[in-house]
Amino acid sequence: MNPRKLLRIAKWEVTKNAGGVDKRTVAIMGLSVVAMVLVAGLAASGGATGLDSGLYRVGVDETSPYYAPAAEDPAFIVQEPNPTAVERGNQELLFDGIELENRPRTTKEQAALSEFRASVDGYNSQLMSEDDNQTAAYPVSVSLVYLEQGGVTETIQTGGSDDGTGDGATAGGSDTGATAGGSGDGANAGAGTGETGGAGDSDTGALGGLGAGLTGGSTSGTPGDIQPPFPFESLVLAFLFIVPMNFVIQAYGSTMLSERLNRRGELLLVSPVSRFDIIAGKTLPYFLGAMGVVTAITLGLRLSGLTAGGGPIAVLAILPLALLFLSATFCGAMFARSFKELTFVTVTVTVSLTSYAFIPAIFTDVNPIALISPLTIVVRDLQAQTVTAGDFAFSTAPATLSALVLFALGAGLYREEDMFTQRSIPMKVLDSLSTQISSKWSALKLSMLLLPGVVVAELAGIALLFALPVAISIPLILTVVVVVEEVAKSVHVSAGFSSGRYDRSVRTALTVGALSGAGFFIAEKSILVFQFLNPGLREIPTGQAGLLGGLVPEGVPLAVVALILFLLPLALHAVTATVSALGARRSRRAYLLAVLAAMAIHFAYNYTVVVTLVQ
Amino acid sequence: MSSKRSLDPRLIIARRDLTSLSREKTIVLALLIQLFVAAFSSFLVVGLTSLYDPSSVDSGGIEIGVTGEAKQDLFEAVAETEGVQPIPFESLDATQRAFDQGRVDAYLDGSYVRPIDGDGRVVQVTATAPDSSIRTTLVVVQLRKVLKTLERQERLERADSLDSLPLPLPPETDASPYFSFTYTVLIPLLLFLPSFISGSVAVDTVTEEIERGTLELLRVAPVSLVDIVDGKSLAMIALAPAQGALWLLLLSLNGITVANPVALLVLVGATAGIVVVFGVVLGLQLGRRRPAQLLYSILTLVVFGAAVLLPEHPSTTAAKLAVDSPTLLTYGHVAGYVGVAVVLFVLTRRYVDRIQPEALS
Repeated sequence: MNPRKLLRIAKWEVTKNAGGVDKRTVAIMGLSVVAMVLVAGLAASGGATGLDSGLYRVGVDETSPYYAPAAEDPAFIVQEPNPTAVERGNQELLFDGIELENRPRTTKEQAALSEFRASVDGYNSQLMSEDDNQTAAYPVSVSLVYLEQGGVTETIQTGGSDDGTGDGATAGGSDTGATAGGSGDGANAGAGTGETGGAGDSDTGALGGLGAGLTGGSTSGTPGDIQPPFPFESLVLAFLFIVPMNFVIQAYGSTMLSERLNRRGELLLVSPVSRFDIIAGKTLPYFLGAMGVVTAITLGLRLSGLTAGGGPIAVLAILPLALLFLSATFCGAMFARSFKELTFVTVTVTVSLTSYAFIPAIFTDVNPIALISPLTIVVRDLQAQTVTAGDFAFSTAPATLSALVLFALGAGLYREEDMFTQRSIPMKVLDSLSTQISSKWSALKLSMLLLPGVVVAELAGIALLFALPVAISIPLILTVVVVVEEVAKSVHVSAGFSSGRYDRSVRTALTVGALSGAGFFIAEKSILVFQFLNPGLREIPTGQAGLLGGLVPEGVPLAVVALILFLLPLALHAVTATVSALGARRSRRAYLLAVLAAMAIHFAYNYTVVVTLVQ
Repeated sequence: MSSKRSLDPRLIIARRDLTSLSREKTIVLALLIQLFVAAFSSFLVVGLTSLYDPSSVDSGGIEIGVTGEAKQDLFEAVAETEGVQPIPFESLDATQRAFDQGRVDAYLDGSYVRPIDGDGRVVQVTATAPDSSIRTTLVVVQLRKVLKTLERQERLERADSLDSLPLPLPPETDASPYFSFTYTVLIPLLLFLPSFISGSVAVDTVTEEIERGTLELLRVAPVSLVDIVDGKSLAMIALAPAQGALWLLLLSLNGITVANPVALLVLVGATAGIVVVFGVVLGLQLGRRRPAQLLYSILTLVVFGAAVLLPEHPSTTAAKLAVDSPTLLTYGHVAGYVGVAVVLFVLTRRYVDRIQPEALS
């Protein structure tokens, strides 16, 4: 790689871009960004009615005390009480005075009643805040403290009756962990309707109490001020950081795919620069652009006082996400055969990466799961909480490695044979893998290379499944693990055979299979490092099932532990990979059958280990 | 030959675009994306509500230790709240020990104090909840309920000093916590997503023909540019309600009743019409995918966001139709979108008619 050439390509990409987009487009774009800010401001300033406005119809007389709360909540349309309308399903609630006249039967009526209860509650708070005698109106004053419980392991299973799971991990003792954070006793001005809004786009309330509500530190006030540590704010923030990525990857995907139209990219390919220079150079401006926007957002949040913290750590934590977005789009642009296809690929990338970043970050308060997503680090940094190096490495390393692997795979396709021809997608997948193969040892390398993808897929599986009951989630997660790992171990071997990079002898199949299994094993053991960084993951049964490597049952002699930890999994991976390799040697169909067999072996092994050793 | 000619060239182009989508199996990808979005959103809501829902914890409710001077009041308040059990303690020390050992999930320490400003007395409660545990949210939600009950009781005792008493709350029901989310977020999301994707694909199909230079080939065929644009737009507009219908079917299979399906599909078709026309014009104007797509996505977001200025936001219209609470205004909006779509379509045809196809490249 040559930095000078790289920079020249980057500069060329930027200037060509400026030439390609005329002044009018730039002006419209600028105006629309301004309009976007205005619209956001409008929505935030409360000009917008709630998403649920007019959803329910309540029949209430003007003389009823309930008239005022019903009229004030936009979710309700106030009507004259009308029993026939109720029967026809045109009125959900019917009040006579404060007596509910109809029995809510349908789900809609029940939802309406529970919503109405919340809005009466909100109305009461407002009523009380206007009372002259504030002592009588607020007779209870609360301060909420969060304290760590000693000796209680965080399990999602029922109660803590069985303390079998690693009690050595959590240091016993009761240190008061009242987290630092702006105790927002002043920020309760707008805390009137706590329950309404639900999942609405009420950015206003969320951002208003950001400093206080986000951390869930100690707060004080009246009972109505208590906000459960619901990380809604972090979701808003998540969107703030993720949205610009989508615009960047859209432009990036276009530019990458347009290189492939009418053989435009050929000029660059024949010039004396390596393809890595080309790819890096064309990516650099977009990467810098994304990071610039992210930095601006972080600074904006910090300077406007919306968040307590936010600095280099937040920006650095977004970096792997930005890389992941770009690399996935790059791969997509290399695979897509038309603009239409690229649009769908881009949407897929957006949706899946957003949920990868998003779902775990919801559980900001549940350490091990939350840290799967780098956004958690961002949220914590914005809250001015400390982020340990271990946490940082745990949540950013898989994403960074996956991004690099995706770039490498895409780069495998950045050559004439694949760029300018209409090959089928499976062929391209095989091409992207087989271009990385130079000798039998490549099987080892490729198994290791694919591991970040495997980890991300498995972690995403855990994140999706951990909320389910353990009885269902463990077999499901085992299946996910088995399928992902077996495919990762064998797909490049199959590519090697079908592209003719490996000769189709049994000997080769055995060697390549064993090497692939060994490579996977070596890389998988690096997960141990991750587990070491994040001991919490061990405490969640699903996590245990997923990352089986780090299981050390208590009371087992060290030699046996070593055996279980190293030899058995090594043997397993080597055997299953060899089975697939033997199939891949013969034909595509034999490969598919062999992979299924390998999966079955792997599943049987994992299931036995989990069932016999964990329990 | 004669039967071929009788077919409208616009239909042929529309069919060509649709088959190219299905042949590339991109449409499968599109449906998968939407399935993923739906799964993601429902996972989100199930995950979140399970954090709040006491019944999701099997251990038979939450135990709250009560102690301090106001123990009796606290005890009553806890006892009156569903899903929590009070456990009285003699001293704060004992409570803290029980909390540390996990015998209680939270504790309340209450005392009576004189407020700084004014007379009378207030109950000063220190509530302690477990830190960073998966139960924290649930425990805090329950604590909030308990303390609100306490507040209500205390207010009633002070009724004489209050200008007006708080209204009694309507009865509680076990309503589905997903109800509002399903109708106000999930269904509108699922219905509008196909429209936006259609618009985006419309940008692609126009710019791709221009960038690849294949538009000239189409021009050689005995069809006008208007026919081409018509065909391409119609294909994309037809696609969105089809996907919407598929969604409504899936939802109803899942036991979610969606009312007014026809009106909803008309709404989807109308919005698809608007964004597709918009995408086509952008594609023809700019001729290149990168600027056209960027402008398309930014402007669509702006327009969709600016729709809050309407009396009813499109997503509210969809929600009200789906939940079967439509008003005349709701139907008015649907008719309005149809009108706008038709007018835009006609205007675009005129615009296209005046374009010199040779200028596009």
